[in-house]
Amino acid sequence: MMDWEQQLKLQAYLDDELSAADRRRVEAWLARDSEAVALLAELRRTHMALAVGERDHQLPESREFYWSQIERGIRSAERTPTAPERSSWWAAWRRLVIPLGAMAAVVLAGILTVSQFNPAPGRESEMTLADSDAFTYRDYAGGMTLVWLSYPAESESSLSSLVDTLD
Amino acid sequence: MKTERASSALADDALVRAAQAGDLQAFEELVARHRDKIYARAYSMMRNEEDAMDLSQEAWIKGWQRLNQFQGDSSFATWMTRIVINLCLDAIRRQKRQRAESIEEMDEDSGGVERHMPVVTVNPTERLERAELRARIDEAMDKLSPAHRTVLILHEFENMEYKLIAQTMRCSIGTVMSRLFYARRKLAALLADLKPAKPS
Repeated sequence: MMDWEQQLKLQAYLDDELSAADRRRVEAWLARDSEAVALLAELRRTHMALAVGERDHQLPESREFYWSQIERGIRSAERTPTAPERSSWWAAWRRLVIPLGAMAAVVLAGILTVSQFNPAPGRESEMTLADSDAFTYRDYAGGMTLVWLSYPAESESSLSSLVDTLD
Repeated sequence: MKTERASSALADDALVRAAQAGDLQAFEELVARHRDKIYARAYSMMRNEEDAMDLSQEAWIKGWQRLNQFQGDSSFATWMTRIVINLCLDAIRRQKRQRAESIEEMDEDSGGVERHMPVVTVNPTERLERAELRARIDEAMDKLSPAHRTVLILHEFENMEYKLIAQTMRCSIGTVMSRLFYARRKLAALLADLKPAKPS
């Protein structure tokens, strides 16, 4: 009695899917096993019967009708890319909102950080940066920092008035 | 004969090139030439006219969309046949999922019967005319499970090797071999059992 692997090997022999060495082994086995020969003959008959070909299955629709449906499908698929265009305002909106949201989040995080490290509630400080017209105002109680720049810069305007005087 | 084949292949190639450039009329001509073959393959796998119509038309739409991927490694008809086969396999998988089964695991367990089936020693198709033999094979194919039928179609009619069938059906070569074995043995038994076909 042939085992499962032998049966499959016999089929692979028929289908020419074996290596040369395996083919020789199967041929030697076939020379001494009539059961294997009978099974191979059955597999070969089925293979030969199928070689006659398939029954024709005719298209049940006319050429025009069949093509018209394909054409409609093609046109409809080509229209599909317009869908993102319709929603492009949404994409543009998202492109605008996402960076703004990120900036807002950074500012909020900054405010929260400042309020967390509030060293002395109620203490205010004001500072003028040397050689510039930038003023920084920090309200520790409110957790708020303001920086303002005078424009035109006060130093620049005084410089220009000096130049005017020299002229 | 060879010249005729070559010229028809060239004509297809020219149509494909035109279609690749966006010529829908050229594509319509390709559809007209190969629609019967594509429909027949869909029908042989699905065994249902409606499914075969839908899937073959879907294959043509996909063919148009992917036309630029066609490099001419095979004939255009072969390329289109691969598309329709893949669509049919997807449809069979969907149908099986709906029935809470899987094409990958089906039928192997029930194949034990074929391992011990007595060998058919007579040739039941010996004296049949070609048309009658085709009709009988078709009738027998109808009785096979989709997985067995598919592997038989891919191997015997599409001339695919085990490895390519395994890739197409997304299973192992071992599974292909066992399915093919079951399918052949079942088909042999079915052909032996079939009553004479009705005269057409």
